[in-house]
Amino acid sequence: MGIATDHLPGVVEQLPGGSVLVTSFDSVINWARANSLWPLAFGTSCCAIEMLMATGGPRHDLARFGAEVARPSPRQADLLILAGTIVKRMAPRLRLLYEQMAEPRYVIATGACTISGGPFIYNSYSTVRGADEVIPVDVYVPGCPPRPESFFHGLLTLQKLIKTESIRQPGVRHKPVLSELPDGIKVEDIQKEIVALLEGEATVDVNKAAQAKPWPKGT
Amino acid sequence: MNSTPILSIDELVENASAPDASETQEYFINMGPQHPATHGVLRLLLKLDGERVRKIVPVLGYIHRGIEKIAENQSYRQMVHLTDRMDYLSAIINNWGVSMAVEKAAGIELNPRIETIRTIFGELERLRSHQLWWGVMGMDLGAFTPFLYCFRDRELLNDIMEKTIGARLTMNYIQPGGLMHDVHEDFVDDVKGFLKGFKSTIDEYDQLLSGNVIFQERVRNVGIMDGATALDYGATGPVLRGSGVAYDLRKVEPYGVYDQVDFDVPVGTTGDSWDRYWIRIEEMRQSVRIIEQLIDNIPDGKHMVVKMAQKIKIPQGRYYSQVETARGVLGTWLVSESEKKEGAYRVHFRSPCFNNLWTLIPMVEGDLIGSLVACMASIDLVIPDIDR
Repeated sequence: MGIATDHLPGVVEQLPGGSVLVTSFDSVINWARANSLWPLAFGTSCCAIEMLMATGGPRHDLARFGAEVARPSPRQADLLILAGTIVKRMAPRLRLLYEQMAEPRYVIATGACTISGGPFIYNSYSTVRGADEVIPVDVYVPGCPPRPESFFHGLLTLQKLIKTESIRQPGVRHKPVLSELPDGIKVEDIQKEIVALLEGEATVDVNKAAQAKPWPKGT
Repeated sequence: MNSTPILSIDELVENASAPDASETQEYFINMGPQHPATHGVLRLLLKLDGERVRKIVPVLGYIHRGIEKIAENQSYRQMVHLTDRMDYLSAIINNWGVSMAVEKAAGIELNPRIETIRTIFGELERLRSHQLWWGVMGMDLGAFTPFLYCFRDRELLNDIMEKTIGARLTMNYIQPGGLMHDVHEDFVDDVKGFLKGFKSTIDEYDQLLSGNVIFQERVRNVGIMDGATALDYGATGPVLRGSGVAYDLRKVEPYGVYDQVDFDVPVGTTGDSWDRYWIRIEEMRQSVRIIEQLIDNIPDGKHMVVKMAQKIKIPQGRYYSQVETARGVLGTWLVSESEKKEGAYRVHFRSPCFNNLWTLIPMVEGDLIGSLVACMASIDLVIPDIDR
C-alpha cells in the first residue's frame, strides 16, 4: 500500500489516461479506509461509557460500521475517539498518543468537554478548553454525553470525509465539520421550534425587560 | 500498614538496584494513564520483580478538573450537575448526596413522595452500576460475553430513566428541594416489567460467570484484606463489606425511606476478590427487593417543595452529609460564609473511590501482576471520582 500511495501518483499520472487510474485507486483505497476504521479508545471520563461501551453493546453495535476493533494501543489504530475531558496534565500524553498513530489518522471529538471544555469551561484552572488546542480534530459530535446514535452520525460523517480524499495529496487535512443534520431537517426549522417553545413557556417578555432596564450612561 | 517513609517517584527509581548479580533485578513499569484495564486514566507505577508486584504507587491527577473549585463559584442548585460527572456510574446517588446536604443545612422538609421516588431511583442506579461492573469485571478477566449481557440489560434500564429524566448517563435529576420532574406516567409499569425479567437475569449472570473454573481461579483467595486494614484505609462500600465489616449507611444511618423497607446487608468472610464479587451480586438482589416493596406504594404529593425560581440560602456554618453510593460513602462538606450568599464558600467531596484505591496496596503487594487486574476490577474504581 505504501508504494501505491506514495509513488504511484507521480509515475502514473504523466502517462496518457493515468489520471483515471489514480482516481480509481483513490476510490478503492478510500473505500477500504473508510469502512475499516480501527478506533483507539481514549476514554477519560463519562463519555467513555456512552461512546466506547454502549456503542459496542448489542443494541447499538458499532460493528455495523466496521469500527468495532477498539485498540488500546495507538500503533494499531487509525481513528482516535476522544471521550471525556482533557486536563492540562493529560494533554501532553494525548499529543504523544496522537503522534504515535500511523498516517492516515483521524480524530473524532465527542462530548462538550473535548469540544470546548463543556461544563468545566468556567472557573476551572486545569481543564483544556477543547481538544483541538492540542491535536487537530476532524469531526465534532456535540452532547453531554452524546447519544450513541449521534456518535454513529459523526462516524458516518467521517466516512464521507475520508471518501473525498485523494492519494495525489496524502496527509492533507480537511476542515473540521459538524456532524450534519439528517435529511429533511433544516436549522431554520429547529430555530423556529425552539423560539415557539420558549415563547410559549416564557413568563417574562424578554424584549420588554431589556428595554425597561436602565442602561449605564455613556454606552 | 507498612511504615516505610514516603518517597518521591525519582527517589524510588534511584533506590531500585540489584545488589548482587545472582539476584533478579527489580524494574519499574507504568500501568496507565492510557490503559484498558484501569477504566480511565489512572496511572500506577509498579515496581516489579519478575512478575511479582513489589510496590504500587498510584499517580493521580490525569482527570482532575477542579470540580470543588468550580462549585465554589456556583449556587447550590447549579452545583448539582457537577456531581453527575464525578462518579458517573452512580450519578443519581451523587445528586442525592449534595441535595441532601443542602436540604439539611437550609432546613427544607421533604414530602414522602419525593423521598420514595428518590429511593427507587437510587436503587435503580445501584442496579445499573453493579450490572455494568459485572460485565466489565468479566471483560477484565478475559471473558467478553458478560459485557454483551450487561449492556443488553443496561439499555432496558436506560430506557426507563430516559422516559422520566431525558438523559441516559448524566441525570441531574435530584435537586435541592425535590426532583427536577415528576415521574413519567408509565414509570411504575415499566419498572415492574423490568424487575420481572431482571430477577431471572441475575441468576443468569450467576450461571454464566460465577461458577466458571477459570474465573474462580482468578478471584478466589486473591487480594485478601482483613477488616481492620480496610477500616484503616477508610474503605467503604462493597470493599469494606467484603472484608467482613457490616457497615452500610442505608442501615446504620438511614436516609430516604430506607428505614421503612426490609433488606439485608451481605457481608464477606475472607475478604478476597471473590467476596467483593459475590457481595455485589447479592446487592443486586437486595436492590430488586427494595424496589419491589416501594414501587406499589408511591405516595401522592408534589415533586418539588421549593419553587424553582426561589433562591436557596444556607445559614453561616459547616455542614456535612453522606450517602451510600454504589461504591461506598460519598460525603459532602459545605462551608457557608454568610446567609446572604447563594453559593458555598468551600465545597469538599469525600469520594468513595479515592479511599478504596489505596486498598490496592495491602491487597496486591507481593502478589502477581495478573492479580492486580483482578483486584482492581473487584474494587470497581471510577477515576473521575478519585481526581474530581
